[in-house]
Amino acid sequence: MPGKSRRDFLKKSAIIGAGITGLSTSTAKAGPKNILSPDRMGVLVDTTVCVGCRNCEWACKDAHNLPAGNLESYEDRKVFEKKRRPDHTALTVVNEYSPGKNSNMPVDVKVQCMHCDHPACVSACIVGAFSKQENGSVIWDTDMCIGCRYCMVACPFQVPAFEYHKALHPDIMKCDFCFERTKEGKLPACVEICPVEALTYGPRTELVRVARERIKKNPDRYIDHIFGEYEVGGTSWMYLANKDFSELDFPKLGDKPAPGVSESIQHGIFAYFVPPVSLYALLGGIMWISKRRKELEEELK
Amino acid sequence: MKKFNYLLTVLFLVTSVSAQQNIGKKHLQLNINCKTCHTCDVPTKNEPCLVTCPRERIATVYQKPEETPELIVINELVKRYSPVYFSHRIHAQMSAMGGGCEGCHHHNTTGPILKCNSCHEPNRKRENISLPDLKGAYHRQCMDCHREWSGETGCNSCHVPLKDYKPEKKEVIQKRYAGKEHPVILEPTKLVYETNSAKGKLVTFYHDDHSKKFGISCISCHKQESCSKCHGVNRVTDNKPIKVDTKNTFEEQHRNCISCHSKNEDCSKCHSDKVLAPFDHYKSTGWALNKYHINLSCAKCHGSKLPYKKVDNQCISCHQGWNNENFKHSVTGLQLDEMHSELSCEDCHLENNFAIKPSCTNCHDDYSYPKQKPGKVVGKK
Repeated sequence: MPGKSRRDFLKKSAIIGAGITGLSTSTAKAGPKNILSPDRMGVLVDTTVCVGCRNCEWACKDAHNLPAGNLESYEDRKVFEKKRRPDHTALTVVNEYSPGKNSNMPVDVKVQCMHCDHPACVSACIVGAFSKQENGSVIWDTDMCIGCRYCMVACPFQVPAFEYHKALHPDIMKCDFCFERTKEGKLPACVEICPVEALTYGPRTELVRVARERIKKNPDRYIDHIFGEYEVGGTSWMYLANKDFSELDFPKLGDKPAPGVSESIQHGIFAYFVPPVSLYALLGGIMWISKRRKELEEELK
Repeated sequence: MKKFNYLLTVLFLVTSVSAQQNIGKKHLQLNINCKTCHTCDVPTKNEPCLVTCPRERIATVYQKPEETPELIVINELVKRYSPVYFSHRIHAQMSAMGGGCEGCHHHNTTGPILKCNSCHEPNRKRENISLPDLKGAYHRQCMDCHREWSGETGCNSCHVPLKDYKPEKKEVIQKRYAGKEHPVILEPTKLVYETNSAKGKLVTFYHDDHSKKFGISCISCHKQESCSKCHGVNRVTDNKPIKVDTKNTFEEQHRNCISCHSKNEDCSKCHSDKVLAPFDHYKSTGWALNKYHINLSCAKCHGSKLPYKKVDNQCISCHQGWNNENFKHSVTGLQLDEMHSELSCEDCHLENNFAIKPSCTNCHDDYSYPKQKPGKVVGKK
């Protein structure tokens, strides 16, 4: 009676399936920390003020125990001949572009993690190592990281870098908004060293207000766009400039946050390896049942 | 006793009030802004809230660069580097065409120069983030110009690292800037621009005519000039036309010109296919300027108001004090001989019209002006 056995099979799989969903919902609650505090901090980067001294690059390395060299060596402006990206040796870099409107000075743009309000990396991380903290920073737990590099693929700004050189202990590397320093009440290293305060540190809401005021007061100096105010649902780091952001290698992004729907499903599937194990158990069970049935059928014959 | 006490009080009150009034009267006569000496809005005798001395020579934004301090030590934020010695006076001279004192001392009151830290907080971590902090404000003032004309953004061009700092450095620097001044800016005579306009590519601009003859001050055009205008690496020294390639609108590009010239003036007045000749008073008005008039600014005869008022060619239109008794003919470059000095003006200058050539034929058959002259030439016309 094949019909009956199929009903049994469906019944059994439904019970096991329900079990898995139950498990995954319970684990999703203990998923990644994703706080969007109204008091979260941010940085306003005014590229019309930046002089391209690259002191921030040095300070960043110094604060993160990366080989930094001496500060004087950063005066070399030849590095601007090539466009650079942040990597495992430098969590922030400054690139130089041709002058924008009403200026004959080049535009210097500091690049680092934007610390999104709805971070795609947090969403993509299969082990929930990434988190958006109360102070606005997007950080990750190195001990939890399994090195899958999903965050690198998910990031709309392609910021997270991967340290390939340590085979046994691979690390994802990116700007952490100086989480350790700000916890102690210090400023992020780059903000502290900037000679011209092209980087203004403050509550994000206040920064948006300041940025709007600057555009309103100096319409000749800026284009009317605060990059990061709305992009991918808003970012903690925001930029002002005197030319279109697409000409400064900023990606053209919509206002919608990186998909958050997939987040709970994905975290549910992989959390603590319980769901995969149960899935395999289910498949194993089905295999055992069908094998047993075959045996029984053969016995009946 | 009570009465005596009462009297004393009244006396005290009267004297104190009158004393205050006396000071007040003096103040009024001097016509000084209160903020020059007082930091608060309502200074009283007990709390005059006076600014710190020396008060006798307080620098304001209306001072000449030469009257400002030669060297200023900036030592408010010393962590990594030694104090900065800023050659203030020479910078003040440089900024004459770049916004003057107010270029750096922005939003200053009419009173004394405000310290930068009265608005810009020394602490970067602060409540009010709408203004740059003190470190940012200092550096923006310096680096905006320095990076433009020298391309330098390195710290050590102004700073000496603390470890290399020697205290005697101040005297060395003081000596270096003692009496040093920015060289006098040489004015170009003529500038030729090659524009991208379809008709009349070349624009000839007679710079010294505008500054000397037309009496236009440097800063009425050169308001926000940066150092790189002269110190730039791309400074053109050959005599080729200066290329003007800009996306500016008509108004933006002609801003300085149309502040005097009408916007609707004939373009060919400045735009041409060849280099134009300078303004010639004779060609334009039919009245040549002699050696006395040639060096006058236009405003001297035509008034400073634009458009210039027309002046007729009668001498007494301007020289209103001249009459038969006091006029010395030698000012025209011709000293009349004894015979002619006795004559009345009209004898030679027909109908007292001094604009047309004097006539000799009234008296002489074989004499003609200017071949023969009624006296001695004392100066070149």
